[in-house]
Amino acid sequence: MKRFDIVCLESPNRSPLRIEGFLFGEENTKGPSIAIVGAMSGDHINQLYVASGLVEYLRIKEEEGKISGRILVIPAVNAYALNMGEKNWPLDKTDLNMMFPGYAQGETTQRIASRLFGELKGYDYGIILEGRRDQGMCIPYVKLIQSGYEDLECVKDLGMGFVHYRPHEPVETAMLQYNWQLWETKAFSIVFGKNGSIDQNDTDQVHTAIVRFLSKRDILDFHVFEGHKSNILDPNRIIIVKASRAGIFISKVRCGTAIKKGEVIGVIMDALSGKKLEKMLSPCEGIVTCQYAHPLIFQNSIAFRIASVELCCQIDTKREEK
Amino acid sequence: MGLIEEVITIELPVGESFRIQRCRYAPKKEEGIKRISIVSGIHGDELEGQYVCFLLGQWLRSNPDKIRGIIDIYPAINSLGIDSITRSIPFYDVDLNRIFPGSKNDFLPAQIADGVVNVMRGSDFAIDIHSSNVFLREIPQVRIAKSQEEILVPLANLLNIDFVWVHDAVTVLESTFAHAMNTIGTKTLVVEMGVGMRLGKAYGHQLLDGLLNLMAHEGILDIEPLDVRMPIQSHVGEVAYLNAACPGLFVPAIEHCQVIEKGSVVGHIVSALSGEVMDEVIAPIGGMLFTIRAYPIVYEGSLLGRIFGKTNGDSQ
Repeated sequence: MKRFDIVCLESPNRSPLRIEGFLFGEENTKGPSIAIVGAMSGDHINQLYVASGLVEYLRIKEEEGKISGRILVIPAVNAYALNMGEKNWPLDKTDLNMMFPGYAQGETTQRIASRLFGELKGYDYGIILEGRRDQGMCIPYVKLIQSGYEDLECVKDLGMGFVHYRPHEPVETAMLQYNWQLWETKAFSIVFGKNGSIDQNDTDQVHTAIVRFLSKRDILDFHVFEGHKSNILDPNRIIIVKASRAGIFISKVRCGTAIKKGEVIGVIMDALSGKKLEKMLSPCEGIVTCQYAHPLIFQNSIAFRIASVELCCQIDTKREEK
Repeated sequence: MGLIEEVITIELPVGESFRIQRCRYAPKKEEGIKRISIVSGIHGDELEGQYVCFLLGQWLRSNPDKIRGIIDIYPAINSLGIDSITRSIPFYDVDLNRIFPGSKNDFLPAQIADGVVNVMRGSDFAIDIHSSNVFLREIPQVRIAKSQEEILVPLANLLNIDFVWVHDAVTVLESTFAHAMNTIGTKTLVVEMGVGMRLGKAYGHQLLDGLLNLMAHEGILDIEPLDVRMPIQSHVGEVAYLNAACPGLFVPAIEHCQVIEKGSVVGHIVSALSGEVMDEVIAPIGGMLFTIRAYPIVYEGSLLGRIFGKTNGDSQ
C-alpha cells in the first residue's frame, strides 16, 4: 500500500488541506485499474466510513497477495468541511463536486478539482461514493447518468438491487461522474444512507458490492457470493408521495421495505397542537427506495419515493410489445 | 399603490409559512399590455436588489398615472435566506440559482424554482438583480450568455449600467433563473452590482434610472426615456482574472473601479502571523478594475479582481 498526497493546499491559518490517496497493487500490473472516491461533502460520513473500511480491507488483501489490478482509494476529498460540520468548502461554500473537470488557473475549489481529476484520469473504472442532495435517506443504489459514454453492463457486476439510469441534468455536467465518463473511465456513483450518519447495514451492503465488483472485474483475486440481479429504474418507474401538510413527520416504514397499496407508510402531526394532520397511504405496491429523513417536514416535501411494481411491469410490457 | 400578494406559500413545520410576495402595479386596463418582473433575493445574502425594489416602488407610488404596463416587484425570492443571512435555501443548503427550471416532483427547493417560473411565466421582461457575493465587489453590470447576445444586449444597453459582459455559454448555467426564463420567451437580464450583505445607495439609484428608462422604451411607463450611460461592451476587449498565488490576507492597494496600467500594484497578500508580505498582486493588463475582492481572507486561487482592458493588453 502506498499512501500519498494527491493535493496539499496551504491555508491562511489552518493546517494544510491534504487529499490523501491509498494505492494498492503492483505498479506495472496488466490487470484493470479502479479509483474509488469517498466523501466529497462534509456530511458524507457513510461514504467516508465505506472508503476507509476499504483501505483497511485492501491492505490485508494486498498482504495476502490477492490484488490483481490497481486500486486507488481516496477516503476524503473535503477534509476541511468534515472537520467543522460543514457541507461544502468552508470559505466560499462551493460544492467540490460541482467543480469538475476543474481549472488549474481558476479559483481554489476549481484548482483542487483540477489536481484531483488529474490523478483520477486514466483509470478503467471509477466509483464515486455519494450521499444525497436532499434531506432524504435511501437504500443503496447505483446512479448512472447518460453521458453517451456510460457502461450499463459493468455496473450490474455490483449485484445491487437497483440501478437508477437516467439522462444527465445540466448541473451534472460539472460533476465528477459526467466528466470522468467523458475521459473514458467507466464511472458511476453509489448513493446511499442518510447524510451525517453511519448506517451499518447500508455501508456493509456497499462494501460487499464493491468487493464483488473488484472480484468480477479481475481486480481482486477473491471469490465472492453472487448479488442481486439489478433492476434498472428510471424516473418513470418511481411514484412520489408528497407531504400535503407540514409538521412532525413519523415514518412507519424503512427504506427497502416492500409495501402494499393502501398501507399506512407515514403520519404528519401538527408540531404545536399534536393533532394528526395527515395519514400517508401508499398509492401502489412496491419498494420504498427513499424517504424524508428529518423529523420536521415542509409542506409539499417529498416524503417517499416508491419503485412501483405496476409501473415497472407496464413499461417493460410496452417495450416487449414494440 | 401596488397590490401585495403572496404568490407562493408553503407551510413550514412549526407555525410559519415560507412565502414569496409580489407587489403588482398595473393600469386599470390590463389587456394587451406588456409585463415586467423585477426579481431580487434569489441568493439570500444579496441585498442590493432589495433597495432597488424599494426605490422603484416608491417611484411608482408617486407616479401611478404613468403606468402603462404591469410591473411586478419580487424583492425576496429566497425569503428565508434573506432574513437570516443565508445565501442558499436554508435547511436544504441548496443554491436556488442552480436548480431552475425546477420540478414539481423533486425536493422542495426545486419545487420553489418551479413555482417561481410559473408565477413569472408570461412576463415580457425580467430583471434579476444580484450583488455578487460577500467576497467580491462589482460595478453595475449585466452578464449575458453568447447565445442570447443579439436579443439581450440592446435591452441591457438601456439599463444605465457600466458594463455588458457577454460570456461563453456554460452548461451549468442552464440551471439558472435567467436561462429558464429566457427559454420560455421572457427576455431576462442578470444584473450584478455591489457586494453581498451590503447596500450601495448610489448603485441603487443608478439602476433605478435604468429600469425607468427600459420601461419608458418598452411603453410600460408613459415617460420620456432618460439620458443614461452607454455601458462598455466586453467584445471590444478582454477580461483578465487576478487569482491569489498563495494564502493569506489580501490588502488592496487601489480602490474599486479604477483605470489602472499594466504592471501596477493591485494589492498585497500578507501573513498576519509572520508579518511578511507573501505576494504582490500585479495587474497583467491595463484597464478598468471592475471587480475587486471585498473579503480579505484568501486561499491559493481565490479571485482578487478582474480587469477589463484592450485585447492587445496595452494599458489605457
